[in-house]
Amino acid sequence: MATRTFDDKYPGQPFVQTDNSLESRKELSDKFLGIYNDTGSQRFWQISVIFGVLFGIGLLGYFWKIFATKDPGDFGYYAALFSFLMTTSAGAPMVAIGPRIANAHWRRSISRVAEIWTLIGTVNLIVFLPLLWVMPSLDNGRRSLVFYWEAKGDWWFPFLIKFSGHIWTTVSIITLIVLGIVLLWVSVMPDLALIRDNAPDGWRKKWASRLSRGWIGSSWQWNWQRHRMGTLGALYFMMLVLTHFFISTEFLMVHVPGWIDSLYPITHAHNALQGGVATVMLTMFVVSRIGPYRHYISLDQFHGLGKLLLALSLLWFWFWFCSFMIFWYGKKPSEQAILKLFVHGPYFPVFLAEFFFVFFIPWWTMVWNPVRRSVWGPAIIAISVLIGTFLDRVRMYVSTWDVAGISADKLAANGGQFSDEYPRNMMLNMTILDDPAFDRIMIIKNFEGLPVPTSAVLPTAIDGVIILGFVSGAVFLYMMASRLIPVINIWEQKELLLYNAEVQFHRAKVKVMGKPR
Amino acid sequence: MAKRSVLGLYIEEDSAADALDHLRDAGFEDHEYEILTGTPYPEGTFGEAEPQHHLYRWPIFGALTGFTISLFYTSITQAAYPLLTGGKPVLAIPAMLVILYELTMLGAVIFTIIGIIFESRLPRFFMGAYSEKITEGYIGVTVTTDEDRTDKAEEALKKAGIDGEIIRGWE
Repeated sequence: MATRTFDDKYPGQPFVQTDNSLESRKELSDKFLGIYNDTGSQRFWQISVIFGVLFGIGLLGYFWKIFATKDPGDFGYYAALFSFLMTTSAGAPMVAIGPRIANAHWRRSISRVAEIWTLIGTVNLIVFLPLLWVMPSLDNGRRSLVFYWEAKGDWWFPFLIKFSGHIWTTVSIITLIVLGIVLLWVSVMPDLALIRDNAPDGWRKKWASRLSRGWIGSSWQWNWQRHRMGTLGALYFMMLVLTHFFISTEFLMVHVPGWIDSLYPITHAHNALQGGVATVMLTMFVVSRIGPYRHYISLDQFHGLGKLLLALSLLWFWFWFCSFMIFWYGKKPSEQAILKLFVHGPYFPVFLAEFFFVFFIPWWTMVWNPVRRSVWGPAIIAISVLIGTFLDRVRMYVSTWDVAGISADKLAANGGQFSDEYPRNMMLNMTILDDPAFDRIMIIKNFEGLPVPTSAVLPTAIDGVIILGFVSGAVFLYMMASRLIPVINIWEQKELLLYNAEVQFHRAKVKVMGKPR
Repeated sequence: MAKRSVLGLYIEEDSAADALDHLRDAGFEDHEYEILTGTPYPEGTFGEAEPQHHLYRWPIFGALTGFTISLFYTSITQAAYPLLTGGKPVLAIPAMLVILYELTMLGAVIFTIIGIIFESRLPRFFMGAYSEKITEGYIGVTVTTDEDRTDKAEEALKKAGIDGEIIRGWE
């Protein structure tokens, strides 16, 4: 038998032998399959039921909100919830995409933890749809990124023009969700093949067979999987930025007269990266410390992601301060009003709390090595960042929708006159515009000044139920997905066997890691 | 003639690499055999031919298409509505640059996606000769060839020291 060795190919060069024997490969597969085949502890199902029930109650609140709420301004907390879910769950897959492109080995055991969050896009979509009805079309004179003119022609052409803001945002969000799910599918296919081939008969084996159809692990398939994951990952990142661009403009900035800040859309996207990292950090803590994967998700992963979280928290300040100082030094009346609305006005306590949770705590804790190089430290900081991110969304969206949202009823109650109390018009019902009393000139005049509300809008009980319900719904869906999809990327773990070796280096044992390409 | 596939399983990477050597010696072409593994090995580990694709052509072609469309679009619109602004020429390149760049990138991205779909070919409905041991960690060498050459393929596979028996399938 002609056996070629390393020495034949590279004579005289030192090399490290990795433990990639059949036994090691099989042992790894068996271990992961053993965990996977375990149908979950009683505690897992108890927690699932709690989240499932909360989600059900949240859905009831959701329908109540849709059918019983007339005033668009009352959707502030609802919009904040939507944005929070888009910020955290849609940003989470970037933890798999970024380090994978950079060939960082530490990401292997947490890449699937991050990718499963793409499925939560379906929950985001449910939350998003009613906002399409709440958001007025462009012909009511509202500002938009998209050009508007009174188009003539068949019904569909003026429709497209009037609702182009809605259409672009919807297309962007759906594309992001589809890209995410396809990315997850491409990534999970080899593991589904493993389940198809080796798991005991049952519904999971059946689904794994369907979803991994045709996967045989040929070098051609592996090669293409790498290309697909790279391309899908890059596209996901591009769509994530684009989607946050649309959300932050169409659902936020355009509704506040005088809010002109070219940095804010990318700030919104940055928040998604920070929120995504915090989400994955917390998830991997739960999966490893409460779940069964303690051996695979270790200090390496927390340390690697902790550094990223620190950097993104510092970047939060940079983005915030850059925008802040433009308004601060500009000092036009509209700019002062913006600062009052978002910073030192009725939402000042929220701003302070957010500043503390999303920047100050991560900064002053994660700079210390003992905290950053621990498991508990980054996980607790992740909770702080998530609370801060939620407060940020409340501050921005609730105040904006309060300013923008004034219903026809409220305006009529005021004798049809705009006043200090009712100066806003962005969410006006279109039919009001048919009334000569509300011509566009009047609306535009009102854009010039932005009287800031004197008090913050507090959430109603229904808002609370929806927020709690849909955040629980996201967790519930994640837990259910973990029953079908292995939470640890098995094939990437097996691939690590090829590149990972522990060797004696003088008097120390060191880990030698290879790079695949 | 109908195609048949045969599969040999190996424990060691070197044995699988030897099997490919024997297949080449027996006159089999690169496209007739494949390595099957449960994990991605670095390209060329088994001495197999590097998978050929033309994906790189797609973004280049897409970028050229996007650039051409954007050049046409910006030139035509400016020529159709010749507004003199600030004494600048009607066809001012700096004003066109952003759209030129964006449509060039958009063309590259869209064509890359189309390229991936096109180059990936259709999903594989028939798995041919396959063993569940592949995902366990065994390394498989599968040969898909004319029915009358399968004996020769089996012989080459066995020469490298297969683990167990030859597995047969069809395409």
